[in-house]
Amino acid sequence: MSNVMKEYFLDLDRAAKDPARKVAWCTSVGPAEILRAMGFEVFFPENHGAMLGATRVCMETIPVANAHGYSPEICSYLTSDIGAYMKGITPLTKAFGIEEIPRPDVLVYNTNQCKDVMHWFEYYASEFNAPIFGIHPPTNLPEIKPEYIDDVARQFEALIHFLEPVIGHPMNKEKLKSTVALSLEATNLWSDVLNMAQAAPSPMTFFDSTVYMGPIVVLRGTEIAVKYYKDLLKDLKEKIQKNHSAIPKENKRIYWDGMPVWGRLRAQSNIFKENKACVVASTYCNSWIFSDFDPENPLPSMAKAYIKIFINRNDQYKEDYIEKMVKDFKIDGVIFMAARTCPNNSNASYNLPRKLKDKGIPTIIIDGDLCDLRCYSDEQSTTLIEAFLETI
Amino acid sequence: MAVTEEIYWGVDCGSSEIKVVALDGQGNILLKRKQKTLFPLQDHVRLALAGESGDLSPFRNEGSHDIKEGHKIIATGYGRKYIRFAHDALTEIKAHFIGVQKQCDLKDAYSIIDIGGQDSKIIAACNNKVDQFAINRKCAAGTGAYIEELGHRLEVPLKDMTELARGNDKELSLNSFCTVFSGQEVIKTLMNGERIENIIYALYSSVVKRVMEMTAITTDMVVFSGGVLEYHSELVNMFIRKLEENNANMTCILSPNAQYCGAIGAAEYGFKSS
Repeated sequence: MSNVMKEYFLDLDRAAKDPARKVAWCTSVGPAEILRAMGFEVFFPENHGAMLGATRVCMETIPVANAHGYSPEICSYLTSDIGAYMKGITPLTKAFGIEEIPRPDVLVYNTNQCKDVMHWFEYYASEFNAPIFGIHPPTNLPEIKPEYIDDVARQFEALIHFLEPVIGHPMNKEKLKSTVALSLEATNLWSDVLNMAQAAPSPMTFFDSTVYMGPIVVLRGTEIAVKYYKDLLKDLKEKIQKNHSAIPKENKRIYWDGMPVWGRLRAQSNIFKENKACVVASTYCNSWIFSDFDPENPLPSMAKAYIKIFINRNDQYKEDYIEKMVKDFKIDGVIFMAARTCPNNSNASYNLPRKLKDKGIPTIIIDGDLCDLRCYSDEQSTTLIEAFLETI
Repeated sequence: MAVTEEIYWGVDCGSSEIKVVALDGQGNILLKRKQKTLFPLQDHVRLALAGESGDLSPFRNEGSHDIKEGHKIIATGYGRKYIRFAHDALTEIKAHFIGVQKQCDLKDAYSIIDIGGQDSKIIAACNNKVDQFAINRKCAAGTGAYIEELGHRLEVPLKDMTELARGNDKELSLNSFCTVFSGQEVIKTLMNGERIENIIYALYSSVVKRVMEMTAITTDMVVFSGGVLEYHSELVNMFIRKLEENNANMTCILSPNAQYCGAIGAAEYGFKSS
């Protein structure tokens, strides 16, 4: 894994320094396939935000963004990342020896997950004087109507027209098909990988998956991601055959809704391990399953896949989805992580935990954040998680 | 051959005080005592266990294997993980539930309201187990720390608060979620010449509101536990009035040894699991 991510970042760094190559910035569930098919190297600022969180460097950079007018209440990926840029630092330096994030030739965002990505990308478009394009799909959908798909597919067509002069050549339709095919293969493999945790005991935890997910976020549409997930799947199948348990003496199976608390992955992982509980599935890691991709029908199928994502749906869909996951993964209880700075990825605010509880599914809410550890209490979260595990 | 004496210790290591309870081999309460939470924590827990006798010999070393034979120590409270010589630990949610259940022996569904130094809890129990629970979120409002901080600002000793609150002649309210902002509201109210009795009443009223909004109480019985409620009887009365206003069939009781419920629950857990 570390080599895959290292090579990805080193190549991005080379691309940023090579006038013949173009770098596009893209949101994590944005149309990366279009950018890759046209020949852009793709950088994902949210992935950078997660690195700032996991390394806890964000605790130095969020206050910088706050002091420059970006509220502590908005997306802490944004504040972590913009603060790091203002401060002139990146975790890529320590991890891979890369001095700075790759300069964008174009920025493409999709508000299918939130509007903060728009503000975030607009900051950099202004800073780098680079062209920017936003996809604005319908949001919070109870169902996926054909007109929604048409709308977004047309926005993708407009995006391609916008990108052609930036890259200097038209879109090669065959290349788009083959890129979507690779993305589909990788995403199906990713789905298979996550489903390995249906085994009891599970060979993997949610905390492992937050590491495994790197390539499906940043390398969709490449052979590299396909190979990585084929190898990982083989490895996990072998573990299941050997009855390998990620949590020794696993006796409780938990579903995690909401973002990871990146700076506390190890500490939280240990709480579950000490209590013989395995977090076997999550909303977050499943968010990169795009089974609707169709290489023969690339733009409409991408439109469907990218508006269909969990975060872009209404509460009834979310309730049904979690209920199904509880059955499929034999879950004993659901933890909702309410992220202070990411309301769109927090599903505890509109009574969903209580609705599930009324259906006999134990739930608990813990307060925290994806990056900003000022919003997280180790003591309180530990007590809540342990008391929950004692109760179920 | 001499029979080894069995003692089951419960240590509730809270943010303000360390509470210690010992049960005998039949589960009867032998003693209870408390001291301020001081650091290094392990040393002070050991002193609390030893009590006035000062005999540290049953609790002499780091590991639970060094505890004197027959003694079993169960830790709870926010400091539970730092008492390395304890044989086991459980959360304060479970400990308070066991402590209340042992002392009150309730058959029907009930809820516990516990206000501790740094958190407040509502625990719903039925069929002799914890059904669900809620803990205050994000801030100290509604906890002992909140009462302590505002008492400090008002220069009112905690022991005088109940009597002062009973002397109110007006129902003021403090609106803020935040202890600091509440402090500012209090100062502003004082500047307007408000009586201290009315301010203390408003402070209690704020605690009731913060706790009651944590989760809906659906049982017809509520048991109060924890040190804050044991020592602020007017606060308990205000809770009772609010609960009865919401449910005409409500019955409320203050648990015996309310401040020690967590420690009693921990000791009982050790007794029952041995």
